[in-house]
Amino acid sequence: MRRPILILVAGLALAVAAYCGVYYSGTANCCHMNHGKTPELAWLKQEFHLSDAEFKRITEMHEAYLSGCAERCRRIDQKNQEVAKLLAATNNVTPEIEKALTESALLRADCQTKMLQHFYNVSRTMPPEQGKRYLAWVQQQTVPSDSHSQMHH
Amino acid sequence: MKPENPMQSDEGLRQVLHQWKVDAPLPPRFQDQVWRRIERTEAEVQIPAWVLLWQRLSAALARPTLAVSYVTILLLTGLLAGYLQVRVTRAQADENMGARYVQLVDPFQNPHR
Repeated sequence: MRRPILILVAGLALAVAAYCGVYYSGTANCCHMNHGKTPELAWLKQEFHLSDAEFKRITEMHEAYLSGCAERCRRIDQKNQEVAKLLAATNNVTPEIEKALTESALLRADCQTKMLQHFYNVSRTMPPEQGKRYLAWVQQQTVPSDSHSQMHH
Repeated sequence: MKPENPMQSDEGLRQVLHQWKVDAPLPPRFQDQVWRRIERTEAEVQIPAWVLLWQRLSAALARPTLAVSYVTILLLTGLLAGYLQVRVTRAQADENMGARYVQLVDPFQNPHR
């Protein structure tokens, strides 16, 4: 009577142990990456098979880009506040509003240009095939693909 | 007393049985009663399904080949389920990390800008 119960339980315990073993060993890398200082960059290293030297170079580029990005964002925010103030003071598109909007658009364009430049620099630091893959992926994620006609709907 | 020829004796008995006719009438609703008795007997000896299942399972697990097969199948199922779950978790983590990287480098992903 006890032997079949023992076999049944042993089978189930073995299945659970096998599941847990495979799961934890398979996801250990993901967990380790998540607890790092810059998990996004760690992911980039893993996803695009970067060497330590390439990763170090990309990390430096990333940090330099982010500090510049923060400054550009600050200027865009400042310009947005200026536009909001001008819009609140009138009920017409004044030359000042026009000028502020143009400046705001230029700041955004500059920001986008710097971002694309960063992507190109990063892709050039990667092995050629991975660089191509990175560029295709990141452009798909960041450059708007909506056609102009769709913006009216 | 032994019959002189058993074959002849059987033949005689067969003839007598063929000629034998029962004239006594059956009691009323005889067939119904018979069926009811059969049903009652079956109900009395009916074993619960789980007991039957357990008995069959125990009998099966008592055979070493079946016991080994059972354990092996469960082990493989566990391994396969773990592997599939790892694939799903990794795909989700990749997607999530990719999105986080893009948010980090693309200021236009921030709705306030």
